[in-house]
Amino acid sequence: MTESTIGIPVPAAAARKISPSADRPFGTFMPRLLTGLGILLLWELVVRAFAPAYVAKPTTVILAIPRVIIDPAFLTATGQTLGAVAEGLAIALVAGTAIGLLMGRSVMFERAIRHYVNGFYAMPMIIVLPLFSLWFGYSGAARIATIIFAAIFSIIINAADGARSVPRDYLEVARAFRSDRLSMLVEIVLPSSVPYLLAGIRLAAGRALIGAVVAEFFLSVGGLGYFILYNSRTYHHDAAFVGVLLLAAFGVGFELLVVGCTRRFLPWYRRDEKAD
Amino acid sequence: MQQTIRRHAPFWLSIFAGLALWEIAGRNSSPAFLVPFSETLVRLWQLIVGGDFIAQFLDSATLFITGFVIALAGGVPLGLLLARVRVLRVGVEPYLMTLYATPMVALIPFILSLMGFGFAPKVLVVFLFAVFPVLYNTVEGARSIKPELIEVAKSYRSSEWSLWREVMLPYTLPYIMTGVRQAIGRALVGMVAAEFFLSSTGLGQLIMGASQNFDTGGVFASILVIGLIGVGLMRLGLKIENHFARWRQ
Repeated sequence: MTESTIGIPVPAAAARKISPSADRPFGTFMPRLLTGLGILLLWELVVRAFAPAYVAKPTTVILAIPRVIIDPAFLTATGQTLGAVAEGLAIALVAGTAIGLLMGRSVMFERAIRHYVNGFYAMPMIIVLPLFSLWFGYSGAARIATIIFAAIFSIIINAADGARSVPRDYLEVARAFRSDRLSMLVEIVLPSSVPYLLAGIRLAAGRALIGAVVAEFFLSVGGLGYFILYNSRTYHHDAAFVGVLLLAAFGVGFELLVVGCTRRFLPWYRRDEKAD
Repeated sequence: MQQTIRRHAPFWLSIFAGLALWEIAGRNSSPAFLVPFSETLVRLWQLIVGGDFIAQFLDSATLFITGFVIALAGGVPLGLLLARVRVLRVGVEPYLMTLYATPMVALIPFILSLMGFGFAPKVLVVFLFAVFPVLYNTVEGARSIKPELIEVAKSYRSSEWSLWREVMLPYTLPYIMTGVRQAIGRALVGMVAAEFFLSSTGLGQLIMGASQNFDTGGVFASILVIGLIGVGLMRLGLKIENHFARWRQ
């Protein structure tokens, strides 16, 4: 497991590369397919045997998918949650990058706020919900605030790591050309921190999604989280479970997107593969 | 002496500056919005003396420890098994990854409607939050055991049990501890989430109650305490991890 300098784990989600090699007696596809089918079968049987009829099981969830994904309520909810996550992530990204780069390049600033950044990062983010509900009311604003709070600290920490790791030569050359501090920050420190930023965004996106769902549970604001809560309370577990599947797909999809971007645009940067 | 002062001075300076900022901002804004640090401490003291706080804290601690211990006791053996039996690991791996990336909070409404309001569903939530980091890192660690080690053990006719106990477990321990550190943070989130959304108990109830009564001081006092617990547990996790990391080359 790769560790960044202040002990924040770099997600090992994609740290694993699975390559088929000759010494393996089985392919990877068949065992996976069989395990997947086995899990689904077991789930189906257990629910059929022991649970009440409304409990989600694979067959009914699959049947519910076509019905749910054209349901306007579901589409609105998805749009609301994704919109809030995108907005919160964008704010967290801009503010977090600015703070993080400053932290990485200014010792004074770093010393002044690093304990707070680490402290807030270690805090279970959902405890701010009661406070945000007092501050912003039971509204979408409180959800955005929660998403920003959930996302910003991992971005700050990674941006600061990135800014610290800028090769000294680059900065010396820039200084020799009498570059001022701001353009050094924007034109040298920022671009060379991009890989770290991507790692930060990957972490932040997962946390932002959790923040959005938790906020919707707590604040009863419309969105995918509330859709799940409402449907499971009214015993429409199948519809609710489609929402969970979509959330999982977003979580995994974003992860793959960031990994793909790193491979495509920063092919020299192999932080992922170092973990093995 | 002088060196310790110099080393710790920036830390205390920044803490004092932050607290002073909090105090000043609190005094100059509406008490419904922000309560100064001094009043937060007073409120915290009242909660502690009232006896409520200690009981709630113990409640939360019981939940946390129960869920965490079960996650550890389940995750480590299962992780070692997955690493040992290749077909099993290859088959389960993608599903494990998906579950590791899925926001577990989304499952809470289902747990609520299936299991109701008792202690067991809350333990399940903490367990679900904590088990995947443990499992994932255990598999990761056990997978990296050099095949030579296992071959040597085998050629000395080591039994499967002693192979696990004397080769696999010690070798994997540092990785397990990485999982433990990650799981501590997640289990804490799970604990608060369970106390918020399932039956309301413990520190979660304390903070919810304060928020519903517009007792901003109580909210800040609870956040301060849970925040400090979070930081303390994270430190502890890092210490444990670093202690065992010396084994890793």
